[in-house]
Formats: sequence, structure tokens, C-alpha cells
Amino acid sequence: MEKVCVLGAGSTKYGNLANDSIADITTQASVAAIEDAGVDPKEVKAAYISNVFGVADKQVHIGPVLMSNLGISDRPSLSIESACGSGSVSFREAYANVAAGFYDCLVVTGVEKVTHTGTEWTTTYFAYCSDFFYEGQAGASFPGLFASMARAYLTEFDATEEDFARVAVKNHENGFLNPKAHLKKRITVDDVMHSPVIASPLKLFDCCPFSDGASSVILCSEKFAKEHGGDYVEVSGSGRGGSPAALQGREHLTTIPSTKIAADAAYKMAGITPKDVDFAEVHDCFTIAEVVDTEDLGFFRKGEGVQAVREGRTSLNSEISINPSGGLKSKGHPIGATGVGQVVEVYDQLTGRAGERTVKDAHIGLTHNFGATGASCAVHIFQGV
Amino acid sequence: MINYAREGKMLTHKCTKCGRLHLSTVYFCQGCGAKGFEPIVLEGRGSIATYTIITVPPAGFEGYTPYAFVVLRLDDSELRISGFMADITTPADLPVGTRAKITGFDERGIVISKDASDNSAS
Repeated sequence: MEKVCVLGAGSTKYGNLANDSIADITTQASVAAIEDAGVDPKEVKAAYISNVFGVADKQVHIGPVLMSNLGISDRPSLSIESACGSGSVSFREAYANVAAGFYDCLVVTGVEKVTHTGTEWTTTYFAYCSDFFYEGQAGASFPGLFASMARAYLTEFDATEEDFARVAVKNHENGFLNPKAHLKKRITVDDVMHSPVIASPLKLFDCCPFSDGASSVILCSEKFAKEHGGDYVEVSGSGRGGSPAALQGREHLTTIPSTKIAADAAYKMAGITPKDVDFAEVHDCFTIAEVVDTEDLGFFRKGEGVQAVREGRTSLNSEISINPSGGLKSKGHPIGATGVGQVVEVYDQLTGRAGERTVKDAHIGLTHNFGATGASCAVHIFQGV
Repeated sequence: MINYAREGKMLTHKCTKCGRLHLSTVYFCQGCGAKGFEPIVLEGRGSIATYTIITVPPAGFEGYTPYAFVVLRLDDSELRISGFMADITTPADLPVGTRAKITGFDERGIVISKDASDNSAS
């Protein structure tokens, strides 16, 4: 297998991008990544696009539109949908193709544009990502499914709703330092506790926003990166896993099996343990999710994730910086773009250009992104070179 | 499964090779991979494993809001089943462990209600 590297990265701002089409923002992010890497578009052999709700902006099959805009309309492209985990799954497929030697340089772009549809549309259509017969059909929204995990966590462990609120406060602190964040504002535990209930026990500020946005990275072989020059980081671990599609089928309601399976594979491939990770971008679509993620990824024991947040051990430049970008919670969650956006953050961190939110002395970063309630998951590990 | 749910029961599939019980939408055993199943009909009774009360609903549920989405642990099995529960407004209405039962199937999927006839703790 070829060693695989990230050679450049770019993102649009996350938020409400109502003035641009989904094709526009896909292209903007891709051009930013290509220019950041300093490659000629003609060197880009293929595109991997992750997107879920292109129908909402009247454009599916975005790949050929992007390639036409880049002046490489003869090149292949592929669109991948795996709910909120689409970006990392697409990254993984792109990684596998470079590792296998099929391509030496690719563009991986994730995109979503849904804010113009409104809350009812997004609540309704996002629920189609659940195991619909058992969950969506019975009125479960995504906040509702994670709220069900939160209720189970509150029942099983020594945790309070304020503990979940602290995750939001911490991620908003980080996101405040990120110029591209959707919700770029500091909040307090009281703000979270007094925000409207969406699905008990989760409140509005426990939830990530619906966002528009696109993120893109250039992925290439190590040989290509060395010959080409410029800053690059190595993809040292890649793992994927699955879980029962519906929460009801999980052995524990407070553990996401796919995270553990994907993480174990990625750690093994990279030859590291969770203790070696300096910072992680994890899937905090809801505050409860970050708590569960940090346990399933092996950073804390089951039930101790809330204590870690309470003690500030996941804050920027503490024991382990979790979501230095602000995470889905503050940076935003354009669902098809999120997994790629996490890689953009890791690239920025490991190449020393994350500005005020820099994780000091960071050498190893991890991305964790899942679809639905963790029915599918991908974990990647990156090392600075 | 739908017809059984309308009768308040849950159709399950028991693996004829290893005995593991599955919901009837499964075609191969997650435990041993075998394909042969024996239908087992369970009483649709159990206790609430977890739930949420939804105040911002997807389309079609506006008229029912607030309502609960519940995960019911079925008696005498390791299986859980999700469903819709009407008329729940605060967490005090539905402590985890509350006894409940399947009472139907309609446009809200599997409908689950509190089991007023059963006051046993669980």
C-alpha cells in the first residue's frame, strides 16, 4: 500500500450561504484546496464528493459539475451518501484508492446546502437517515434519538443536564476563535439550560445547527507529496465500523459500537493508543454525542466522559483538546461536508495555521465522524511530518 | 409484524441453529449467520428502557405534539422495540422503567401505551 497524505485543504464559511448554489460552494471549497496544495487541476485524477440532500438545492450528481468547473471534465467523480458521516466515508474511499495505487492525486469535497429549506423540512428529511420503519415512522427526530441516548446516560451514570451543557459551552469557546464557524459566539451553562426544549432532555443549545458549507482536501500518495513539495500530513490510520441501525438493537444505549470498531482499526493501523492522540475532532451533533464519543474512542472510561468535561480536561490545550474547531456544535454541521471539514481542521492544526485555536505541540490528530446515531462510522488518524 | 402489532403482540424470529431471538425484519442471524428462523410471538409488554419527549416534530406529527418516542424492553427477551407514545408532556409522566405495552400500528408506526393494568415495579 502507498502511504497517503493530505497536501492541501480549504473550506467555505459554515452557516447560511443562501446566496450561492450548492455547485458554487462545492467549487469554491475545491478551488481553495487545489490552490492551497499548489497543484494544477490537471494533476487531479478524480473527485470524491460527499453530499446527502442535493435534491434540496436541485443538484445531485455534483461531481461532473465540479469537474467541468475545474476544467477537467474528462475525469471521473463519485458521490457518496452515508448520512452525517458521508464526508469521512468519502475520505476513506478516496484514501483506499490512493493507497491501492489507482490514483496519485485526488480532490475530496463534501458539501451540504439546506438552510433555505427551514426547520420542518430538515427535521423531517434528516429523520429519513434513521431506521425509518422503527424510528422515523414513530415520530423520532434526530434530536429525539440522541435525547433517548441522553436519557439513558442520565439514568445509568452520575451525570446531569448541566454536564451536557458544559460540552456546548466548551465547543462555543473554541468556535469563537474560528473565523469560519457558523455559531461564533460564547455561551454559558445558563444559556443552554434556559434555551427551548427540542427533545427532552436536549435543549436548543445542546443541538448543532443545520448549516450550509463545503470543505475540501487534496489527497495524494507520499511520493506525489514529496516530489511536489509543500506542507503535508500523513494519514497514518483509517478505520470503519457499523452498528445496529436502530438504537433499540444496541447492546448498550450509551455506547456506539461503530465508533469502537472504527477506532480500534485506526489505532492498530497507526500503531498508537488513545493516549498518544493530541487532539480530536469528534462527532458532537448533540452534546451527549461528544460525551459518548470520547468514551468510545478510549479517551475516558464509560461514564467518566461527563466528569472529564466538568474538570475541563477536554478544553483547548488541556489533557486532550476535543473539537478545537468548535465542532459540529459551534463550527456548524453541513452534513455532507462535516467529515471532510474535520480533516481540514486537522491539516490546519498540524501545519501550524490554526491561529488562536492552535493546539500546542500537536503531532497526532484524530477525526471521528458518524452517520445517523452512529450506524456507520469512520475514524482517521493523522501525523505531522 | 404489523398485523401482530395491531393485536398488541410482537412477531419475532428465533434462530433455529443458535436460538438467538431477533425482530422479524432480520433475514440472517447476527449471532451465527444462519438463515433458518422459527416464528415466536411475544406479548407486546415490557418496561421503558429510554425515551424522549418531542416538542419540535417532523412533518405529520404536529397534531400530536408533544409526544414521546420510546424504546420498550420486551418482557422475557433481550429485545427492545421502538414506538410512538401519545400524551406525554413532562419527564415526570414517564420514568424509565414504566410498564408499557404495544397497542397498535398506524401512520405513527408501532404505537405503545402505558400499561395501566400493570403496576409492578421493574
